[in-house]
Amino acid sequence: MNTFFNSIRREWRYVVEHPRYILLLTLGLVFSYIFFITLMAQGQPQKLPIAIVDHDGSYLSRRLCHEINATQGVDVVAVYDNHTQARQAMQRQEIYAFFEIPKGIYSDLLAFKAPSLALYANNTYLLAGTLSYKSLATIGKLAAAAVQREILRKKGYSEKQVMGIIQPVELDAHLISNPTANYQPYVLTTVLPGILGVMVLLFSIYRVSEERKNGTMQAWVDEADGNMFVALAGKLFPYTLWFSMLGILGNIILFYYCHYTMLGSFLELSLLVVLFVIVQQALAVFLVGLVPEQHMSICVGAIYGMLSFTMSGFSYPVTAMIPFMQGFSNIFPLRHYYLSYVDIALYGSNLGQYWINVVVLLLFVMLGLVGGWLLQKEMNKVSSVQ
Amino acid sequence: MLFLKDIWSVFVAELRRIFHDGGVMLLFFLATLLYPLIFYAVYQNEMVWDLPVAVVDESQGVESRRFTHKLNATPEVNVAYKCCTMSEAERLMRQHDVRGIVYFPNDYDSRIAKLETGRVCLFCDMSSFLYYRSVYSAASAVMLDEMKQIELQRCELQGATETDAEGQVTPVSFEDVKLFNAPGGFASFLVPGLLVLVLHQTLFLGIGVLFGTGRERRNTPKKILELIDKSVVRVTLGRAFAYFAIYLPLTFVNLFVLPRLFGYPYIGSVDHLVLFLLPFLLATIFFSTTVATFFRERDAVILVFIFFSLILYFLSGMVWPQCAMPPFWRYFSYIFPSTPAIQGFVRINSMSARLPEVGFEFGLLWAQAVVYFFTTCICLKIAKKRFKAKSEAENDVVESLPSDVE
Repeated sequence: MNTFFNSIRREWRYVVEHPRYILLLTLGLVFSYIFFITLMAQGQPQKLPIAIVDHDGSYLSRRLCHEINATQGVDVVAVYDNHTQARQAMQRQEIYAFFEIPKGIYSDLLAFKAPSLALYANNTYLLAGTLSYKSLATIGKLAAAAVQREILRKKGYSEKQVMGIIQPVELDAHLISNPTANYQPYVLTTVLPGILGVMVLLFSIYRVSEERKNGTMQAWVDEADGNMFVALAGKLFPYTLWFSMLGILGNIILFYYCHYTMLGSFLELSLLVVLFVIVQQALAVFLVGLVPEQHMSICVGAIYGMLSFTMSGFSYPVTAMIPFMQGFSNIFPLRHYYLSYVDIALYGSNLGQYWINVVVLLLFVMLGLVGGWLLQKEMNKVSSVQ
Repeated sequence: MLFLKDIWSVFVAELRRIFHDGGVMLLFFLATLLYPLIFYAVYQNEMVWDLPVAVVDESQGVESRRFTHKLNATPEVNVAYKCCTMSEAERLMRQHDVRGIVYFPNDYDSRIAKLETGRVCLFCDMSSFLYYRSVYSAASAVMLDEMKQIELQRCELQGATETDAEGQVTPVSFEDVKLFNAPGGFASFLVPGLLVLVLHQTLFLGIGVLFGTGRERRNTPKKILELIDKSVVRVTLGRAFAYFAIYLPLTFVNLFVLPRLFGYPYIGSVDHLVLFLLPFLLATIFFSTTVATFFRERDAVILVFIFFSLILYFLSGMVWPQCAMPPFWRYFSYIFPSTPAIQGFVRINSMSARLPEVGFEFGLLWAQAVVYFFTTCICLKIAKKRFKAKSEAENDVVESLPSDVE
């Protein structure tokens, strides 16, 4: 136990003398939280700019413009005379979608000629395109329903008959644990712990390989009575505490300040954060044991760490990837963190449901032990040469 | 003439340094080409097809069964389970065997038969935006189709002829066109922007590592150190040409070859794209060299700035629309060449915009290139002064240090 504390003390000296990186990383994390929370403060983009191409210029087309302007999701920023102008505005990204009202829509309508409205949405921007399309399509359908009712009335149907014809089916959607389809929880609950994870991984690689680079491995391990595992534990323990605290603090902000859904136990999620931090450190030790050069190990760590965002499946679901990639996704701790988070927070499940992810995370910790063993072997070789 | 000769010698010296540094080569060449391959493998399917959903049909009638059949026929959804009770479906949902539940209350058919409104309940898994989008759009498409069919029946019931009924049910028809990415493919939306970001970030990190190593190991080429005294402009230009020469082919591969090879959108005009990418490379190079003068250690830049890649992508407005960003972040995003570069590239490449349509981005990139060129020169001058002061204080320890190049 004493040796463990000696190792901690040794690392503490470093922190006090060189607080630069730990400070920068903490600031970076705080910046990320502030950035993501304020960037998407709206939850769902509101008032997306759209336009109308009005070939008709009639009472009806103008009424349609007013109706569109009154909806929450979109905002009519321009009315154009022709299609080309609208397309160019879209290419300038001034608008995300536009309605094209054909010439003579009003008179066609009066003559029962079933005129057709065209709706163009820009799908290059998936979120903005989908949302503006959805808003406009809803308006279009409502407008069509209003016209339909008007026509039926004029055909001589009674009010009761009219109501009996329109809207025979209604879709009642329940969005589980995110009733407003808020975009923030999708992104933030995984990306922010993911950023923490990459930071812990790279910083741990840096700290451990620094000993090798400076040729101080012997001195470092001597502090722990020649036991590599104790030396590693002592070295990384202060950071485990610090980064776990930051991670839990971050989750407090997400679930209690921003009020994202948390059906399960926050304690379980917090324990998971601690495990996640330990796993990143274990992976760091493994990488350092495997890759002998500091820069290489940091590069490999960076590539692996950045990939974990893609492979966690929070944006593009893993189940939609090709089978090989589905298997590949399992070697990223963030994937297991994300899956457990979904179970805990969105479904209120307990360990019985997501235990398999915890087991995988514990396997990663075993990798850390392998890394420690590799380093111990390397040490022995060095000291025997000396 | 001497001016050009100096630039040339810096250019050669810097190139030599890059090709001798395995770590920088890894970033410049391997990362730039590896990431696109991985993106290709990950997003190959583009869409979420055949999501399993459960149907709980308490109505057990013609209408509910037809709805179920149509739902099963959509490309997005696959009716994988038919459950007797909601609790059974809920259990499947909890275990992630299904991504949505469609529930018909027991009065669904009878309400429709009574000319009232039948209610379908849809429960969506919200763990991923794409699950929600697929399940919801499939269900609402079926709902609209059903609505039309039942309305037609009802009109005919009330005595309308078939053509009459058609006119009454759809007095206005809709034509919806999804431009530039018709099926809403995920890769076609995400990857073109990421390809630009990969170039931006590898260049930034690579230059950061290069400069950091120069400070840490004092291995900046002698030629460059001598010339810094004479003119920082020559050094800056010579170095920039070195990075430019390396990134020209890489840009060509990433932004011209890969979209054609992997089937991402490429409907832009090539000459406009070339003109647009020129200031992109210059701005990125000078931005990177400006920031890089602050790094004193080889790996500092990766350690501190790797997570910034994510932030840059969100700042670019590809995910979260620029118009919905708070003004502060929108102006903040103009600091980085990646914002106008991603915007401009995507619009030219995927949306067939021409230079006038990306005029703002084009101008911004040139402005960044000019501003960051001068800041690089200034920072270099300051760094040189400091370095000199320091080495004089250390009694020229620098000279005695071995200039270790890998």
